[in-house]
Amino acid sequence: MSDFKIAQREKDAVSVLELKGYLDAHTASKLEEALKTLLSNGRYHIVVNCRELSYISSAGLGVFMEFIEDVRKHDGDIKLTNMSPKVYNVFDLLGFPLLYEIFKDEQEAIVRFFDRKKMPPSTTL
Amino acid sequence: MIKLRRFLYIGGAFLLLLVKFTIDVISKNVELEIGGLSLFRELLAIGAYALIYLTISSTVTRQGNTPLRRLGLFLIVAYGVLFVTIGFSLSAADGFDRKNLSLLPMDYPTLFFASVSSLILTTFAVLSLRLLSDLVPFQDRKGNRRNYLVLVGLILASALSVAMLRPLDSSILTTVLIVLSIIVIVVNSYRFPWIVYLTKREKIYTVIFAFFLFLAFVGLTIFLAADGTIKQSLLYYSYPARQFVFLVSLFGCIYFGMAFVSTLFHLPTADAFDRKRSEVTSLHNLSRLITQVFDFNELVDTVTSMTLQVCEAKSCWLELLPPDPGSHASGSIVADSSALHVVAMKNVALADIDLLHRVPGQNLRDDILRLGTTIVIDDVLRDSRFGHLKKAKNSIAAIVATPLVSHNVVIGILYATKEFRNGFVKDDMDAISAFADQATIAIENSRLINQSIERERLLREMALAQEMQRRLLPQVLPSSPMLEVDAVSTPAFEVGGDYYDFVQLDDRRLGIVVGDVSGKGVSAAFYMSEVKGIFQALSRLYPSPRDFLIRANDVLMGTVDRHSFISLVFAVMDIRTGQVILSRAGHCPMLLVSADEVHYVRPGGMGLGLSRDAVFAESLEEQCLQLNTGDVCVFYTDGITEARCRSEEFGYDRLLEAVRRVRHLSASGIKDHILKTVHDFVEQQAHDDDITLVVVKWKGTPA
Repeated sequence: MSDFKIAQREKDAVSVLELKGYLDAHTASKLEEALKTLLSNGRYHIVVNCRELSYISSAGLGVFMEFIEDVRKHDGDIKLTNMSPKVYNVFDLLGFPLLYEIFKDEQEAIVRFFDRKKMPPSTTL
Repeated sequence: MIKLRRFLYIGGAFLLLLVKFTIDVISKNVELEIGGLSLFRELLAIGAYALIYLTISSTVTRQGNTPLRRLGLFLIVAYGVLFVTIGFSLSAADGFDRKNLSLLPMDYPTLFFASVSSLILTTFAVLSLRLLSDLVPFQDRKGNRRNYLVLVGLILASALSVAMLRPLDSSILTTVLIVLSIIVIVVNSYRFPWIVYLTKREKIYTVIFAFFLFLAFVGLTIFLAADGTIKQSLLYYSYPARQFVFLVSLFGCIYFGMAFVSTLFHLPTADAFDRKRSEVTSLHNLSRLITQVFDFNELVDTVTSMTLQVCEAKSCWLELLPPDPGSHASGSIVADSSALHVVAMKNVALADIDLLHRVPGQNLRDDILRLGTTIVIDDVLRDSRFGHLKKAKNSIAAIVATPLVSHNVVIGILYATKEFRNGFVKDDMDAISAFADQATIAIENSRLINQSIERERLLREMALAQEMQRRLLPQVLPSSPMLEVDAVSTPAFEVGGDYYDFVQLDDRRLGIVVGDVSGKGVSAAFYMSEVKGIFQALSRLYPSPRDFLIRANDVLMGTVDRHSFISLVFAVMDIRTGQVILSRAGHCPMLLVSADEVHYVRPGGMGLGLSRDAVFAESLEEQCLQLNTGDVCVFYTDGITEARCRSEEFGYDRLLEAVRRVRHLSASGIKDHILKTVHDFVEQQAHDDDITLVVVKWKGTPA
């Protein structure tokens, strides 16, 4: 129905997914597929850039919940960046900022991955 | 009525014959010189026989006898008559005196025998004519019927033409009529429309019957032509009758002689004819089956048994691909041959079929799926695809396999086998492929019908689910002089994941809950009903909104799957004081409309089912509000704020503005206004999300 696109980049051992358009019940499977592929390739350091994401529904939020446990078990994480205020509001209403690290800028998130590696595990989120 | 008439006919005939017999007896002793006596005798005979004819023709026989059966019965009658006549002619000792072109019986037995044999033979001739009239113009074509009527006319005319003559006399007119009759007999004897449609077996019987009938009539004709007792008896008794019997018997000779030869010539092609006919019959039956396709197993069973029948194969089976709703779209993709499964088989075991297809990648199935055409293997053992059969015990020598093609997609394969090499001729192949086409239509129809039945069933189930879910929502809204409450919930599909409910905690406190399950449709509906159960059970035990939500999260974490969650807002209102305690688990903020301002109330809290541990409890805040008289609380789901017109959302600001101006309205009025504003915004587009709206107006204490 609506347009939804995912672009993938590799940046210093971190996989960056750029989401574009409407992420709802119809398009959620695309993101699900992309994340599944990353995980099966052993990529657990994931940054999702939401700069061009114009809408996210509860089904879209569900996709992140589906994979986060697995990713963190492998010492990885999914970090979200560059959200528009509207999209952030949806995340915020549901309390996602308590579950995910959300950054203003993609680079911050990537750096954070490397910071964390140097830190002892006890100081993690 | 018919019985009475027939009784009169028989009585009349008997009377006439009796009179004639009396005259004959008297005239044997006394020379009666009465003018026209002989003509009178003839008229008596003709009258009697005419009445016998009427009796026979008014006899209604059971219809439906095949020509073959009639021939058989007639054969018995013919030989009976022949033997009786021969017996009479041998025992009629003394014979006749010739006198003045007339014949006179020498003694009474001769006279008696002449009367009886004449009666028998004439009756037999009438019967013969009746049988032949059924056989000759068999299909009632105009020409046939006319020729036949001409023949009967000529026979009667030549019989009547001798009525005025003495028994040993003859005339040119009679001779001409006889010659004409014979010509017309020959013309009529080319009519064998009934032979063509007999089966091979019936044709063999017909050859035998026709041969013996031919012999019987030849014998009779000889008796009637040769100057012996029989001819003399008939001539004496009635010249026209003799003429009639003679011509009919000649007709019998020629007709059955021709029938014998003709049937004999039909025998070699009888097999082919039989097969063609069974093909046509089977195709006809199958095409009728297309309309009776409610039992799929019966259908495929019929397809195989008819295939077996139509090409006289040893065994036959049908393999089908599972129905795939998407297959028509991707027409060019070759289906996976391993998905083929046998749905019906005849005279073959599943193990034999598996053995046949054992070599993967290089077997008949793949070739047919790829090529989409019929494959004929005349000698299995010399085909590379069946090399592995050489060592195995195998009775199959030839195979025809034809694809069932629907909309350019192979949906299955029909196989037929024979136990000898080169067993399938072109006719067989044509028949099988014609059959496969019919079977395809029937199977497709059957599947479509089953699909639509299934869809009907699902629709009914969904309608039921919708009704059930509707009943999960409050049927009666809480009412109190201090409160106005109105609510609405509309699922996007038949069922949805939105929920609202009320609970009377005690005589002063009312619990209000509004929730939204992530996702839509059936899965959301199931969680929604679970939430209803949890709310009704726990809200009374934990009247503090925050406590309740923490408990609810504990319960839901155990059942909700990883990518689902539930947002809930729970408010407990003290009806007397207007105090509201509110907790929000990831749900849209409550909209509070006061006299001087409109604002969202948004205590912190994450959605239910997202996090089990303390993270959830820590996130959850509880907020306490004091309502003033006329204040309005609006609870809703994201179906309202995310209602979309093209790419723009209705949003929180529009909702806020919509409510700001209508605080003075009743709860129902406010609800209707919000809905109308949303509908106007989306410009009548069907909403694609569940929408729920609960409006509570506190009227406060008058004091």
